[in-house]
Formats: sequence, structure tokens, C-alpha cells
Amino acid sequence: MSNRTLPRLLQTPAVVLLLMWMLVPLSMTLFFSFIRYVLNNLRRPEWTSPDIANWRGFGNYEYVLYQAKDFWFAVQNSLFIVGSVIFLTVVFGLAIAVLVNRTFPGRGIVRVLFISPFFVMPAVNAVLWINMILDPVLGLNGLAIEGINNTISTLQNLPGIGSFFALWPEIEPLSFRATQTSAYAVIIMVTWQWTPFAALIFMTSLQSEDQQQKEAAILDGAGVWAQFMHLTLPHLARPIAIVVMIQAIFHLSLYAEIEIVSRGNGNKNLPYLIGEFASNNIGAASATGIMAVILANIVAIFLLRIIGKSLMD
Amino acid sequence: MAGLTLREVAKSYGDTDVITNLDLDIQDGEFVVFVGPSGCGKSTLLRMIAGLEEITGGTIAIGNKVVNDIAPAKRGVAMVFQTYALYPHMTVYKNMAFGLKQAKTPADEIDRRVKAAAETLEITPLLERTPRALSGGQRQRVAIGRAIVREPEVFLFDEPLSNLDAALRVQTRIEIARLHKRLGTTMIYVTHDQVEAMTLADKIIVLRDGNIEQVGSPIELYEKPQNMFVAQFIGSPKMNFFKAEELNDKGQSYLKGEADIIGIRPEHLKLAGKTDALITATPDLIENLGEIALVHCKTASSMEFIAKTTDLSAFPVGKEVKLTANTSVLNFFNSTSQQAV
Repeated sequence: MSNRTLPRLLQTPAVVLLLMWMLVPLSMTLFFSFIRYVLNNLRRPEWTSPDIANWRGFGNYEYVLYQAKDFWFAVQNSLFIVGSVIFLTVVFGLAIAVLVNRTFPGRGIVRVLFISPFFVMPAVNAVLWINMILDPVLGLNGLAIEGINNTISTLQNLPGIGSFFALWPEIEPLSFRATQTSAYAVIIMVTWQWTPFAALIFMTSLQSEDQQQKEAAILDGAGVWAQFMHLTLPHLARPIAIVVMIQAIFHLSLYAEIEIVSRGNGNKNLPYLIGEFASNNIGAASATGIMAVILANIVAIFLLRIIGKSLMD
Repeated sequence: MAGLTLREVAKSYGDTDVITNLDLDIQDGEFVVFVGPSGCGKSTLLRMIAGLEEITGGTIAIGNKVVNDIAPAKRGVAMVFQTYALYPHMTVYKNMAFGLKQAKTPADEIDRRVKAAAETLEITPLLERTPRALSGGQRQRVAIGRAIVREPEVFLFDEPLSNLDAALRVQTRIEIARLHKRLGTTMIYVTHDQVEAMTLADKIIVLRDGNIEQVGSPIELYEKPQNMFVAQFIGSPKMNFFKAEELNDKGQSYLKGEADIIGIRPEHLKLAGKTDALITATPDLIENLGEIALVHCKTASSMEFIAKTTDLSAFPVGKEVKLTANTSVLNFFNSTSQQAV
């Protein structure tokens, strides 16, 4: 026994510190979620300090769930953004990893280039995309549409075939700050940033793929697609699981992109909603936070069920 | 069922020639073993026949059909790899059925063939397991099974036993020999292990640096090696070479014409009588293997050689002995051309 006591003892400070790190904020949030606590209220100044006397029971939760209109929208939108980003990054990541996994001149440079989006800060990423690429007037989006429209109008003025192009409408550039599209803008920019992460993990895993298995498959008459489906994809099950898990955790807490694209207009997720509540109503923000923790846990359990198996094997 | 014809086959990677102008005929139903030291091109040659390596020059024909531009799967060959190369995410059954499925074979036909092959190899109870749950020997059988179900005209084995332990290697070797007897299909087998080559082959092809050194039956190679390389490569311990200065007068009298080296296998060396001594040497170390002993000897000019004997008392360590061998088992070589005389 004694030879295990010392290591335990030495571990204790770290464990206690980590526990406090986790438990103190969590219990404070729990406490705030059950009391009335606002930052500014002239009529009821007693609510502006956290006090057990302001006990509200599940009042904050009721308010968030039934009265504040954005909660269910935010839950739905969170899952939509996370799900889309995961799906797209895995698909693009696989495609890039498989493409780059062969030898060609300049492979080193290509690898460095395509990994670089991952080093861009989220806020910078959002500013770059929404202003320089997706902007309907000044961005690449606007310029490209303008170019296409100019070409069409030139063609319309040509004799003969001009009458055919006269039937073509003028194309309107899509604004990605609008209520209906701001979620797509976030999905596009986060996908751009995280595809390299997925590709990088898939790439390292592809290098460990057994070449003799592929040769056996070639002798068995498997084409490139059959090899990919029957050998490469199963081989990548574990890295795919890792990419899905890590991204699910990261993207549930997206904030900067949502703030910069539309300030939550038409596009909120739970962290953003918490941020909005927290500008005054700490009680509601805390209740939302607790529900976000529950949601994250549901997602985590769900993922572990599906993916855990492939990780354990 | 088909034989193979290789004509002026060449392979080079850039400027490096791996195989140059190689001609080879393999009869239908023959068990042919490619043997040679590592880097001699034997695996490359096998992979060229399989279609996994491109041919830089010449033609390869299976049956009467030139297969240079035919896809590997359509050549009628099946290969067993050194690492088995089983598909790790499929069950044994699916592993064996994969090739047939790719060829769009009807499901009941696949089932019949897989079950028959499993029966032959005694792996029926393993069909639903994944390769991970199998031992090395079982994996090897599955790999062979995967080749059998395709009913190929030529089986290719790329050092199939080198990942097995010694006991299993002997057992699997015998099974492969039985399999060949039963199927009667042409088999090409690559190995660097001369015991495998000697026991399995109808015909051994000794390769060195991408060239064929000798083609022949195992006994031919053992008794009449065409050059010093083959003489030393086949047989264990390897053949001893004695130059004129190592031999006594009687020994030197055998060297006629071009011949300036006598090759004697360790197992043929024996104590000489009064008149027939060829070599005088001193035993300096004995490795006793039980059934036989390897006696390491030194001649007067301190050239080392090995004699294999069952009678240890005839070789006292440190004492000079006179050795001889029957004239019928002597091999003669020329030291400059390295060829047999």
C-alpha cells in the first residue's frame, strides 16, 4: 500500500486544482441559474447582487424555455452548424488527404499551403470571409457576379446570338449577412478553417495504410473506388471518429464567427444566446448555460455510443 | 491451367537495371521456386508476372496469351503475400469472397467456392472471424484460401512462410506441397530459404542481380551446380572450395585443364585412408547438433572450412587429420570464370 500512497499524495494538488477549476464555475452557474440576478434594474436594486434571498426556483429555466423566443432556435441552429461543418470537413478532408497522398512535384509546398487556414484566428477568418469573399458588393462574391452580369450584357448586344442571351436574367449576388443566409456563411468559413485539420489527421493515417492489402485488392480486381470503399474508408474509421468528436466539442462553442457575420441576426447558437442574456440577465444566461452543458453531454454520449466502438477496437 | 513464357523480360527503375533480358519457360502444372539472396530481383520478377510492377522490356505470356497490357486481376493469377495482406475489416468469409464479388460472380457460386476452399484448408470454423482474431498460421491459410477461391491458372507465393515460426513453417510447407499435388496448378514461389526451395520445387531458378544463374531440379542444383555462386547458395552449410595450394599432391592431380578449384560439400568430407587423402587440416571447433556435428577445420594456410560428420571421435580438436571425398561428388570450378568445369 505504502508504495501507492506517495504517488497519490503527489498527484493530489493537481487533482484538487483541476476539480476546483471545473467545480467552482459549474456550481456558481448552477446557483445563479436558480436565483434572480440581473446586472441592472432600477426598480428592483436587490436583484443586482447574487443572493439566496432572490431564489427563483426553476423560474429562469421556465423563462428561457417558454418565454425567450430564441432558445429552441439556438439549439436547432447549434446542431445544424455543428452537423454541417462536421459533414463537410470530413468529406473535403478525405478528398484532399487522398489527393495529396501521392507523390508529385511540389508536394511539400502544397501541404504547407493547404494546412495554413488552420493557423488563422477565428475572428480574422470571419472578417476575411464576410468582407473580402462573401460581400455582395466588394467581396469576390460581388465581383464575380458583376463580371458574369457584364459578360452576359455584352453577349446580349451581339447580333444574332444576342437574342438568345436576352432571355437570361441578371444575376443577383447573395448577401451572406441576411437572416436566411448568415448560418451558411458561418458554415462556409468554419469548414474552410477546419478542413485542413481533418485532412491532416487523415493524411497521417493514410501513410500507415498497408500497401500489400491494396495490391491484394488490385489482384482481386478491385478498382480505385472499390479500394477506397473497402480498404481506405474502414482504415480511416478511427481518425474520422476523432475528427468528428473533436469538432463536435469545438463547434458547439462557436462565437466569433457568429458575432462578426450577423451579430446573431437569424443565426444564434447556444453560446451566443448565453452571451446575449449575459448582457443583463445573469440568471437566464446561467440557466441557458446549464442547458448547454446538458446538450453537450447528450451529444457526447450519443457520439461515444456511435463512434466509441471504433475507437475501442 | 497454364504455363508461362518469359522472353527478354527487363525491369529498370530509372537508370538502375533490376532485371535484364531474362528468358524463362515454366511448364503447366510445375512448381517453380525463385530463390536468391535479397535484392536479386526475385520478388520483382514475381510482381511483374502478377502485374503489380510494370515491365520495361520483353514479354510475359501466361498460357499462350501475352499479358503485358492486361490488368492484374485479368491475368488468371492469384498471389499470397508475405504479410498475408488480409483485409482487416472483413471477416474471413468476406476476405475470400471479395475477389469473386468484384468479378460479379453469382452469390451461390461464391458461397460454394468459399465453403469448398475453407473445407480444404480446414478453416470452416473461422469463416465469421476477422483476421485480427486469427493466429499467424490461420491467417496464412486464409490468404491461401483467398487465392484458391479465384481458381487461378497460376499461383504466386511471395515468401509466404517468412512470418511464421519454425514449427509452423515446416507444417505449412508440407501443406503447400500437398495443395500443389491436389490442384495440379502452376505455382511460382519466391523464397530466400533454400530448404523451402529444395523441398517444394519441381524446378528451382537461382537468381542473382537480376540474372538467372541456373535452372534445374533441386537435385541437379545440389549435385551439379553450374557455377560457384549456385554451389555455395544451395546446401547448408555451404560448399567448401579448395584451391590448389590447400590440396595435397593427390588432390592437385584431380585439377586438370581449366579447373583450379575443387568444391566439396561438408557432408561429403570424410577421414581418408592411407592413399586417398586430398586435404590435410586441423579441426579447431565443433558444433554438435546431436544427429550430426559440424567440424570447423583449418588448413595449413589457415583457410577455414566445415565438415559434417556423425562420427565425432574421428575429428580430435587440435590434431591434424587427413580428409577425402568420393570422386563422384567432387565439383570442379575455374576461379576466374567462376563456372563449373
